[in-house]
Amino acid sequence: MVGNDIAKDLRILELVDDILGRNRDEFLRELYLEPLSREEAAVFRLMVFQDLMINDVYRMVEGFVERIRESERLIQLKEEAYDQHKVGLHLDAALTYIDAVESFYNGLRAIGPRSEGLKQFLNYLEQVINSPYFRSMKERAREAKETRDRIIIKVRFVEDGVKVSKYNGDGEDLTALVERTFSIFKDGNGEEVKWIKSTGDMTHIHAAILEGAFRFYREEYEILRRFMEDFPTVIDEGVRSFAREVEFYLTYLRYMRRIMERGYTFSIPSFTRDGSMHVKGFYSLLLVKAGKAVVSNDIDTDGARRIFVITGMNSGGKTTFAISLGQLVYLSTLGLPVPAVEARLPFFTSIMTAFPTEEDPRESLSRLEHDVVRALNIIKRANDTTLVIANELFSTTTSDEGFQLSKLFLSELNNKRSYCLFITFIPKVASLEFTISLVAMPSPEDPEKPSYRIIPGPPPKEYMAVRIAAKHQLLYDDLRRVVK
Amino acid sequence: MIQFDLLRMGDSSKISIADDLRVDLELDKIIAVASNGDKLISETWSNMLLLRNSSEDVMRYRQEAVRDALANRDVIIKMYSIARDTIERVKRDVFILLLRTDDPPAVARETSRGIRILLDGLEEMLTLLKSSPSFSSTAFREFVSSFTANINDQFISSARGVASIFDTSRENITFSVKIGSSNYLKDPVLLVPREGGSFLSRILSLGKEYTYKLDPRDEAGPRIIYDIKKWVLHRSATVLLRSFNDMMKFFEDLMRQLSFYVGVINMSDFFARIGLPQTYPEVNPGVFAFKDLHCLSLAISTSSKPIPSTLSINASDSFAILITGANRGGKTTFLKAIGQALLLARAGIFVPAESFTIPTSGAVYTHFLRGEDRALSYGKFEEEVKRFRGFANFLRRGDFVLMDESFSSTNPIEASVVAENVVSALVDSGVNVAYVTFLQDFIYNFTRRYGERAVLLVPERLKSGERTFRLVRGSLQPGYAMDLWVKLSSNPSKEQH
Repeated sequence: MVGNDIAKDLRILELVDDILGRNRDEFLRELYLEPLSREEAAVFRLMVFQDLMINDVYRMVEGFVERIRESERLIQLKEEAYDQHKVGLHLDAALTYIDAVESFYNGLRAIGPRSEGLKQFLNYLEQVINSPYFRSMKERAREAKETRDRIIIKVRFVEDGVKVSKYNGDGEDLTALVERTFSIFKDGNGEEVKWIKSTGDMTHIHAAILEGAFRFYREEYEILRRFMEDFPTVIDEGVRSFAREVEFYLTYLRYMRRIMERGYTFSIPSFTRDGSMHVKGFYSLLLVKAGKAVVSNDIDTDGARRIFVITGMNSGGKTTFAISLGQLVYLSTLGLPVPAVEARLPFFTSIMTAFPTEEDPRESLSRLEHDVVRALNIIKRANDTTLVIANELFSTTTSDEGFQLSKLFLSELNNKRSYCLFITFIPKVASLEFTISLVAMPSPEDPEKPSYRIIPGPPPKEYMAVRIAAKHQLLYDDLRRVVK
Repeated sequence: MIQFDLLRMGDSSKISIADDLRVDLELDKIIAVASNGDKLISETWSNMLLLRNSSEDVMRYRQEAVRDALANRDVIIKMYSIARDTIERVKRDVFILLLRTDDPPAVARETSRGIRILLDGLEEMLTLLKSSPSFSSTAFREFVSSFTANINDQFISSARGVASIFDTSRENITFSVKIGSSNYLKDPVLLVPREGGSFLSRILSLGKEYTYKLDPRDEAGPRIIYDIKKWVLHRSATVLLRSFNDMMKFFEDLMRQLSFYVGVINMSDFFARIGLPQTYPEVNPGVFAFKDLHCLSLAISTSSKPIPSTLSINASDSFAILITGANRGGKTTFLKAIGQALLLARAGIFVPAESFTIPTSGAVYTHFLRGEDRALSYGKFEEEVKRFRGFANFLRRGDFVLMDESFSSTNPIEASVVAENVVSALVDSGVNVAYVTFLQDFIYNFTRRYGERAVLLVPERLKSGERTFRLVRGSLQPGYAMDLWVKLSSNPSKEQH
């Protein structure tokens, strides 16, 4: 299970809530909060995604799951229903299931999935369909349905009850009569009378009407009843569990769609073995969700240097950059497509974060002390497949001391060959020779505004606060000329 | 469907500044006389006077119908009261509120009752139209022929029969039904009920019918049955409701359209009482002329004939009438009289004049000074500019803009520049202007530049110095003040002694 700090700092719970949408399935939720420990498992999932990202495959799987669920729902309804309804519910559960399985099998086989996951399931379905039980269930269900379709009855409500008889087609359609009579006043449209019922469709009254029907259609009833008796089990266990598990993929694909509708891309990550990391055009899912302007960024290393030091203007997008990449890495460890144009990166086995915390007056440690404790804990657990994201660590001391602490921390991580995004206001940290310096760039049109682009380069030479002071003639020379 | 269009309102959109027009031209006074307390007439007149679009054809069509209505006033008033009484009875006897619910049996019951009342109304209307003298106007002739083509005694009796089924047999509905998926009932078809049946046929049906009797303690049963009735009846209820609504709409449309003519009858009576002349306006490109035009709202307020105005100008091009001169000289009344007559003319109604000829049937816009506070302020000036800008987008060639002291919330020098910009632009674009103004720079420059197309009117003053409250053509005397200055300064003694 993902750790609390990381979940909070990288806003993972928020992300998972967005992915789940209205679905509140705890089983799914736990899957999204459980990073995989083995690369092969992630690759297995990503291959399934590759298949499902083909629109036809996706629609087919989604339709299949919906119908399996519909069949399950009918069977559940059967538990509480009157006998007259039971036979019908059972038949329709079977009809729904048979059609779902067959059309999914034929459709998917025609397309030809490439992933192990779907191939295996296709083979399994083949066995199900060819089993004698399935075959004869199909034949008998068709027959039962045709029989039921022949039934037509006349119902009359009288003062104290209901009268049912066989309908011989001798009545006149009253609605049509009304329509004909008033045709000169009909301009073709108008309001629709709604009917909202407060009672169910399978009540004792309905059962009584059906009972009346079956009195006159005895043989038809027997066919329905025998079908239920002869085929007590409708849904195959393997099919049922596939429908449940594939929801993990469908839910995420639906989420991807919502994001992609706004013009963003997802890609299947590939895992590098040489320590290199190459992520192109990644972006913040949370900002997309919030409908804000979203700028995408890149990050690159051949694997020799793994410590990224990020400096630059305030509100320049540094934290967003770090959280976005952190989320991307997190999603890749679940075997999920990631929000980027292209993503080649190591399979990370752990993500650790150190974001600024509120000073807790009850705690004996100062913020600086707290930072040191956290840093040391991270070092203790980090290895060469760890991503560390540290935001303004050691910022509550002098910049010289902050630099010294940063240097110690980062050197240790470098020695462990860990990866790190280190956001800091101390420019000197970026000059450490084992780091890659990234800088938040101002907008080219208006240097006082951020561009949200984070690119390789040295920390800025000019500070924004100084520029603003100059604009308002508050620098030394200005004040000298004014103050006489 | 009974087709008729007594008003030719077109898309019926209003002039963009309808509310301003209503206030500036005192339309409420006119509407009150026409409506004589009838809210519907008041609404219709208000719509008709403020319509964005009109045309010579539409004006003629309505003028013809107005003449026809005055000639057949008793029939018009009777038709109006049949429509009104029918609608009122429906509203009294039918639980209209139930028609908006999701309760088809209730809807079927209430609409069938309503339909029977409406059928009574149709029958009464049919009788009246059968025995009435024939109309002469296209509008009313078309109505009568469409009505009698659709409504006859046979329709009325069969419709009554069908409507009554839903009143008497609603408790005992009969329908056929099939069994669908999950053994739900599906495809219900409501059937025409069979009356009782003979003793023999009841004997024969014994054993062929399954009976389920409700347990007296079964509380849910009746509710479920009612829900099934809702389901079975909802299509019929929809058809009944639509038929009911359409029949209601027929009466409402008819009543609304007739209300215009009832208002015309009322207005004609008012003209007769006060002794106002009554003329049907003509459209003649190139002429803007009227003889003895009265301000109708002033006639209404004073219950007497106001002093009329007469004017005749060449309108082969668009023009601007500039009205200036001392206060209380009848300038604004003149502007209102023109505006009201233009609106009445466009609506197809007679106007209080001996004659009235307009070059186009263009729309009328007003830009009148607001409020009593005459202090100059750029805030107010900006408001004026915005208000003008607000309707400027809607102006079209041939429209009329009536301005009363526009742009006087800033000093006259700069206001003149604005006024000249505005009025020149309008006139050059083919829009006619009538403008009460004191902006001397503007008047001077504009009349010089526009010659014949600028008509300057000033209050008449007799040689005795007495005011007549009539406007007459005047002219500015440029250099008059200078002359006076020269005169006074060169010969001071004469003035002093």
